[in-house]
Amino acid sequence: MLGQDLSVIAPELVLALYAMGALMWGAYAGRDASRMILWVSTGVLVAVGLWVGVHAGGTQTAFDGSFVSDGYARFAKVMVLFGAAATLALSADFLSRNELMKFEYPVLIVLATVGMLIMVSAADLIVLYLGLELQSLALYVVAAFRRDSLRSTEAGLKYFVLGALSSGLLLYGASLTYGFSGTTMFAGIAMVAGGGEPMSVGLVFGLVFLIAGMAFKISAVPFHMWTPDVYEGSPTPVTAFFSTAPKVAAAAMLARVLFDAFGNAVADWQQVLALLSLFSMFLGSFAAIGQTNIKRLMAYSSIGHMGYALLGLAAGTQEGAQSLLIYLAIYVTMNVGVFAFILNMRRDGQQVTDIASLGLYSRVDPARAAALAVLMFSLAGIPPLVGFFGKFYVLKAAVDAGLVWLAVAGVVASVIGAYYYLRIVYLMYFGQEVEPLDGRMPSIHWGLLGASALAMVLGIINLFGVESLAASAAATLVQ
Amino acid sequence: MAEAGPETVLVRKTVLSHGAGLWRFIPALVAAAATLWFAQFIGPVSHGDIPEYVASWVPQLGISFAFRLDGLALAFALLICGIGAMVFLYASAYFRSDRRLLSLQLSLMAFAVSMVGLTTADDAITLFIFWEGTTVTSFLLIGFDHEKEKSRRAAIQALIITGAGGLALFAGLLVMGSLVGSFRLSEMNLAGDVIRASPLYPVIFTLVILGCFTKSAQWPFHFWLPGAMAAPTPVSAYLHSATMVKAGVFLMARFTPALSGTDLWTWTLVPVGAFTMILASVWAMRQTDLKLMLAFTTVMGLSMMTMLLGIGGPYAVAAAMTFLLVHAFYKAGLFLSVGMIEKGSGSRDYTEISGLARAMPHTATVVMLAALSMAGMIPFFGFIGKELIYESTAHAHFAPQAVTAAAILANALMFACSGMVAIRPFFFRPRACPKDKPADPGWALWLGPTILAALGLLCGLFPSAVEHVLVAPMVQAVAGEGLPGHLALWHGPGLPLYLSLATFALGFVLYLLLDAIHTGLAAAEPKLPRTESWYDGFMRGLGKVARRTSVLVQNGNMTSYLRRTFLALAAVIWIALLAGTASWPGFRLSVEAIDWAIFTIITASIVVVLRTASRLTGITALGGIGSGIAIIFVIYGATDVAMTQLFVEILVVIFMAIAMVRLPRTGGVPFVPLNAVVAGILGVAVSVTLLMVLGTGLDLSLTEFFEENSAPVALGHNIVNVILVDFRGLDTMGETAVIAIAAIAAYAVLMAGRKRARGGE
Repeated sequence: MLGQDLSVIAPELVLALYAMGALMWGAYAGRDASRMILWVSTGVLVAVGLWVGVHAGGTQTAFDGSFVSDGYARFAKVMVLFGAAATLALSADFLSRNELMKFEYPVLIVLATVGMLIMVSAADLIVLYLGLELQSLALYVVAAFRRDSLRSTEAGLKYFVLGALSSGLLLYGASLTYGFSGTTMFAGIAMVAGGGEPMSVGLVFGLVFLIAGMAFKISAVPFHMWTPDVYEGSPTPVTAFFSTAPKVAAAAMLARVLFDAFGNAVADWQQVLALLSLFSMFLGSFAAIGQTNIKRLMAYSSIGHMGYALLGLAAGTQEGAQSLLIYLAIYVTMNVGVFAFILNMRRDGQQVTDIASLGLYSRVDPARAAALAVLMFSLAGIPPLVGFFGKFYVLKAAVDAGLVWLAVAGVVASVIGAYYYLRIVYLMYFGQEVEPLDGRMPSIHWGLLGASALAMVLGIINLFGVESLAASAAATLVQ
Repeated sequence: MAEAGPETVLVRKTVLSHGAGLWRFIPALVAAAATLWFAQFIGPVSHGDIPEYVASWVPQLGISFAFRLDGLALAFALLICGIGAMVFLYASAYFRSDRRLLSLQLSLMAFAVSMVGLTTADDAITLFIFWEGTTVTSFLLIGFDHEKEKSRRAAIQALIITGAGGLALFAGLLVMGSLVGSFRLSEMNLAGDVIRASPLYPVIFTLVILGCFTKSAQWPFHFWLPGAMAAPTPVSAYLHSATMVKAGVFLMARFTPALSGTDLWTWTLVPVGAFTMILASVWAMRQTDLKLMLAFTTVMGLSMMTMLLGIGGPYAVAAAMTFLLVHAFYKAGLFLSVGMIEKGSGSRDYTEISGLARAMPHTATVVMLAALSMAGMIPFFGFIGKELIYESTAHAHFAPQAVTAAAILANALMFACSGMVAIRPFFFRPRACPKDKPADPGWALWLGPTILAALGLLCGLFPSAVEHVLVAPMVQAVAGEGLPGHLALWHGPGLPLYLSLATFALGFVLYLLLDAIHTGLAAAEPKLPRTESWYDGFMRGLGKVARRTSVLVQNGNMTSYLRRTFLALAAVIWIALLAGTASWPGFRLSVEAIDWAIFTIITASIVVVLRTASRLTGITALGGIGSGIAIIFVIYGATDVAMTQLFVEILVVIFMAIAMVRLPRTGGVPFVPLNAVVAGILGVAVSVTLLMVLGTGLDLSLTEFFEENSAPVALGHNIVNVILVDFRGLDTMGETAVIAIAAIAAYAVLMAGRKRARGGE
């Protein structure tokens, strides 16, 4: 029985054991081993990602059904693991350059990743909270990783306080849900919630608090406040990490709770999600216009993109769940590329995050500018790039679910959003000439930037088969 | 060596631009070959045999890479490739010594491919992708001279307006596809009745028409087109007269079976078309730059087609399609000719040039031919187009008199404009023009315009050929039925002929009055409202509001973040409370004195916590709240829970006191009424929720389980103890371990702090 359980959580277990081992390794080998630990951690994340990815088999549960490993979880886990690995690989150069190369960093990232894997596999509110806190605690620390920087410390503190608040909301919701369904297991909640008769008031409030708590983690408006400040203040590799793996994990977790526990009460949460999505799409694109700092811009961009992801989720259908997964996969790929670029915006060895510094960048480095331009077009959802298909999937899911008004609003928001992505392209090609950026790009950054941009172009042929994978993954979630 | 450097570069540049001369004709040859390739389908298509090509793309979404070459698509493909061949040839000569020729040719080719794809697509998403392709290539082409501020501005303006319209179109296609259940245009067109009957029809219509109106420069989006004249002349001739701007008209024609025939369709297209038509032709009179004047007449032409499609029915469709061809021939020809005038004389402003006919006889002939077609003179193609227009406006279901009057006025203004273009630069006394010796340009420049101008005459002379090859299949594709009657130059006396004569008379008068009109318009211009200034105001406002929003929403202040989060949460709860079906809790005020005592203790403690300046007092008062709760437990018989609660309270107070006294003093917290209000709203919301929630039935299965099983299974009578050490013994062990680890960590931290403090001394 226990052996069976352990085999189901084997990937999480291996990662957790590795994290503890790495901590010991770092503690005894000292700072010199940090670089090594970082690369080994990257390797381990990739290896576990491949392992989870090729792992066949249907739905397996562990610990009396409180932990589930199904196609959906595996799909999300692969995204999380690869996203984490990519951003960890990107951070090496930055950390050494800024004397931040400490072994705790990769260990914390791995721990956060373990938390995320648990989040997407949770089939029980307690397990969910366990994963969420494991993730969050690690993230609070990395946000403030640059301790000598006031901004980074402030970012960490803000993230902690608001994150703690969100955890409180989530727990409150979980207790209400438990109190009125008599169980913390999603399957049990689903039997009580919906299914013909209206949900009890207690469950409705439980659901509202649960959604509010999770909306924090995916930075959906109006629970997004921490995002721009934390994105700006954190060290750039941390920002890159924040904008990829944790977003996927939190969105996947939200979908899991909504479909598995409250799947019979779609009408009760559809409107809430529609509103979150609407606000996020509009604030994300609207507030981004006035930004001058590219990290802050990416924060609003991530808020907007999460709005689109929620648009798919708000559909409340299998098609919607599939579109969510596809959207997240595309989003993570694009963000890895963009941050590979941002990490190398330097002038005289100093990190630059001012958007204006990209003026006529196409003359400084045409290849890099072209790659970023492709990514910006894709982020804006300009066809035929892959980003367009991401939007297309969620919009179609919303329309098919009868949320025409929301889809139309989504298109309007994307018009506004396209403006600031295109402004970057415009600046790079037609802008004012400025003192050029001179950051040399390490080959791994080049590789990820190039691969990401290329994927946006080549993916239009068949999206690399992601959609059929996402379809079968979504099918295991929505029965 | 060093001195030879610049010269070598110069030589190489010259070699590149002149020596490698032949490659620059490749695009023109490719386009000519494509024209011939498309021409082979003329026969089959006119017999109703429509070639299709479908490749599966994203089958899950029902998207395919589908093309269908019906009459409308074929006519557009022929126009795009045919005029493309002439324009590419023209561009290769126009930019002969410019090293940017290659990039211009590439952009033009990319544009042509997008345009052909757009017009031949049979899948909504394929169409949309090519549609955006034309938007992006057009942006690049307008901004070709990107050193100039004016070009950059025009390029971004066109991109924003047509791009936004494109996205609206996308939303419309999405809704329409979802409604019909297919993204194939041909299937959408078959489901016209379903679409028109759907409650979503107004949404679909509005979104699609927004795409069409922005692309085809209809009021109030028309202003980007004159701005786009910042593009080089070959680009303007190609994109902004003959092809791209017609994409909107094309789409309206394409969706005529699916969307037309409703009141909404007619009442939108006809008034907007008519209004834009008159507005544009009046403003054309204001211009002295020939290119700008032509740009305004292009807007006029597009709105004429919009209006005709709005009227609907085979007559109006036939008129629209014929006029589309007429317009493509003469307008592209004139644009290219203006480029020749500019090359030859150095200016394209008619106030700076005159009497050029002697020096540039060839150019003068071409312009004359094209302008006669534009004026609608017999025996040119323009005359046939005009007759058809009057025929259909006179029989319109929608206000025939007003529509006809508008058409007459616009045509008369057009007549006057063609007079300007044909007469002013070439006749009267020659004047010193910016170039010393004006002369006709070389063959590559004049060949295209000459063919186009000649086509205007040939089509007029042999109308049945055009009818058979182009017009009839187009009408068949759009209106779903054959051409009513035949194209003919001479229909004999009838209403259209009288209206034509009236147009000529009015046009002639307007031409004579032109200078007066021009002066009047120039004087009135600053006072009139302009939609471009709305656009500017909107963009400025957008930026301002966006900056204000982000400053307001994201002020970096933690307190305000928390305040807003609480407010949002309170709003959600209150909405759920007020909109919900749950009943309000009934209050039963307790008469027990002890309840009141506890209430007083807790309330007093809360007030002290909130208002005290001393941390220690605050912490102690916090303990007071906990103690109050402990007393409640005592009253309801849970003595063990009360004990635990009290212990925890005491421990918390001690620990917090230890931590707090080490922190620096900050003084008291100021009273902020707003925060109090927010706290009140949320607090009341949570309390009411709790009361309401407690009013509904709680799931007691666990309680019952423990009550029944504690004694027999676990042999214990204290249920809490049994749960802790027996039923959930493993959990308790884990918790104990966690507490122990936490205690060790706390000890380590405290010791480290002490050590550091000592080291500091």
